[in-house]
Amino acid sequence: MEVGSTSPSRWSALSLPRVLLGLLRAQEMSVLLALLLVSAGIALVTPYFLTTDNLMGVFRSFSLTAIMSVGMVMVIVTGGIDLSVGSVMGLSGLVTALAFQNGFPTVVCVSFGLGVGFVFGLTNGLLVTAGRLPPFIATLGTLSIGRGLMYIVTRGVPVTPDTPEVFNAIGQGYVGLVPAPVIIMLVLATAFSVIMRFTTFGRHVYATGGNEQAAWLSGVNTSRVKLVVYTLAGAISAIAGIVAFSRYLSAEPASGFGIELDVIAAAVIGGASLSGGVGSVQGAILGAALTGIIANGVVLMNINTYAQQTITGGVILIAVSIDVWRHARKER
Amino acid sequence: MKKLLSLFQASLMALPLSLAVQMNATAKDLKDIKIAVIPKVAVPFFDDCNNGAKAEADKLGVQYQWVVPQNTQGSTQVRILEDLISKKVDGIAISVNEPKSVEAAIKKAMASGIKVLTFDSDSPNSGRSMYIGTINSAAGETMGESMAKAIGGEGEVAIITGQLGAVNLNERIDGIKKSLAKYPKIKIVATEGTEDDLAKAVSVTETIFRGHPALKGIFGVSQVGGPAVSKVMATKEFGAKKGAVKVFAFDDLPDTIKGVKEGYIQGIMVQRPVTMGKLSVEHLVDQITGKEKSPKNVDTGVNVVNSQNLDSYTK
Repeated sequence: MEVGSTSPSRWSALSLPRVLLGLLRAQEMSVLLALLLVSAGIALVTPYFLTTDNLMGVFRSFSLTAIMSVGMVMVIVTGGIDLSVGSVMGLSGLVTALAFQNGFPTVVCVSFGLGVGFVFGLTNGLLVTAGRLPPFIATLGTLSIGRGLMYIVTRGVPVTPDTPEVFNAIGQGYVGLVPAPVIIMLVLATAFSVIMRFTTFGRHVYATGGNEQAAWLSGVNTSRVKLVVYTLAGAISAIAGIVAFSRYLSAEPASGFGIELDVIAAAVIGGASLSGGVGSVQGAILGAALTGIIANGVVLMNINTYAQQTITGGVILIAVSIDVWRHARKER
Repeated sequence: MKKLLSLFQASLMALPLSLAVQMNATAKDLKDIKIAVIPKVAVPFFDDCNNGAKAEADKLGVQYQWVVPQNTQGSTQVRILEDLISKKVDGIAISVNEPKSVEAAIKKAMASGIKVLTFDSDSPNSGRSMYIGTINSAAGETMGESMAKAIGGEGEVAIITGQLGAVNLNERIDGIKKSLAKYPKIKIVATEGTEDDLAKAVSVTETIFRGHPALKGIFGVSQVGGPAVSKVMATKEFGAKKGAVKVFAFDDLPDTIKGVKEGYIQGIMVQRPVTMGKLSVEHLVDQITGKEKSPKNVDTGVNVVNSQNLDSYTK
């Protein structure tokens, strides 16, 4: 294969359908299928599902989970887990809110918020690499510290500062018909999808998770890979937290509570294996979309809201089972 | 021939079109009106609201949907509001968890023609048409006065509330503080939040008892206070507190009523959730059909219930 060749035959191999299919490999296909089936089902029952307003609203409401799942996938692929994403999201939003309350300009407030994510992510990474703590324990610790800090600082009362319109646009604005958080989600998803699939760093992430010993012996600095990945997860959670605060303009101490389960579910539905080495950003986005659409469908179809979690759980099990079944067939 | 056929087809199409125009000209049929009611979270107080609202909806013949948030975060109710806007309901009644976060969604709903009112817990700056519920500050003041009388005008008291950010609960606390200001010998030594979670409330109550052994009174400002304090006082460790610590609670959950019967609780402020539900649906429908043009807040009031009038109050 000649390096740097741009002969016509090579370009024709990159036809659009092949690229699209290549982007969505087998494991994501079953999630996409589930997504389309659920959507079709909802659309058949209610005419309000397939409207621009509703779809954009749904995309915006699952965008936070989807944004955080980008970081989570990378962590899971290295064989780890990050339970602290919810607390980091909440705390970043809170710090941003407090900065506004103290009169700092928008850029400074956002920087403080991002800084919180960066620090927590880095801490997680150091605990896992230098501290040699199991990721579950390490991030459980930072989850509790983060949540505790939020309650200490707010004393249970939400922080609701005045914020300039420029900042509010992050969470409430639109680019044309598309809500700003959805744009942010797409940008992050595309960027990290490309990084994971086409860069050396991405390959190192998969290698670290696939077989850490082998990767290390092949010259991959697995510790540094993990450090970077946890820090990124923290920073990305902070982005979600800032977007969330910009949307609701109220930093509640319970913000983000429990969302780590939704984020992990999104990554796993999208094909990530909790033992590492497998997973994709595209899949995680689809996973987040699936649970988000179910939540929307439940209200549109007037299904008992108590049933929502049960339905979501059932759909998750079905989607993942299809994938496991296909793998089993391939190996036969 | 072809021309005649197409003319015929065109006139056939015109028929349903003209019918549709005629239908739009008349007011919306009651059975086509969609009302959605959103409580704070799944706790028994709102079951009464649901009963009242559903009964009224059935009576009027409108469509009714009860949507329960899975947690008390503001973002959850925002998502529900947006889904209901997509669904083009005609009226929404909501008991608000976090007043600021729902403002934008409520404004959006009203801008798209949906009538929105709040019940039980308000979002005062959201532009909603009206608030139906307890005038919480007055209820708080009554509670404070009752406690002051019960403990003889002096001593340490504690307040147990639900979500620390809830407007209605904080108004009750303000009312309590206002009435207790007249009694300088009464000191509020603790105000604790519980997210209206029973397990948390039990734990908080025990901690308060241990931290303030001389405590003479407890205010249960949200519906979780009554059951929690009753359960704690029924244990061996705190059995002596029964009767020695005066308890005033809110809302007549079965456990709270039992608490009054068994002497753990001295008085309950009972709201009228069934009435709140009923009036919410009634006023929404009136606003949708144009009957009510200038809505005003409605005070559904409280009953002070103690062992004497336990069997004779209405909700």
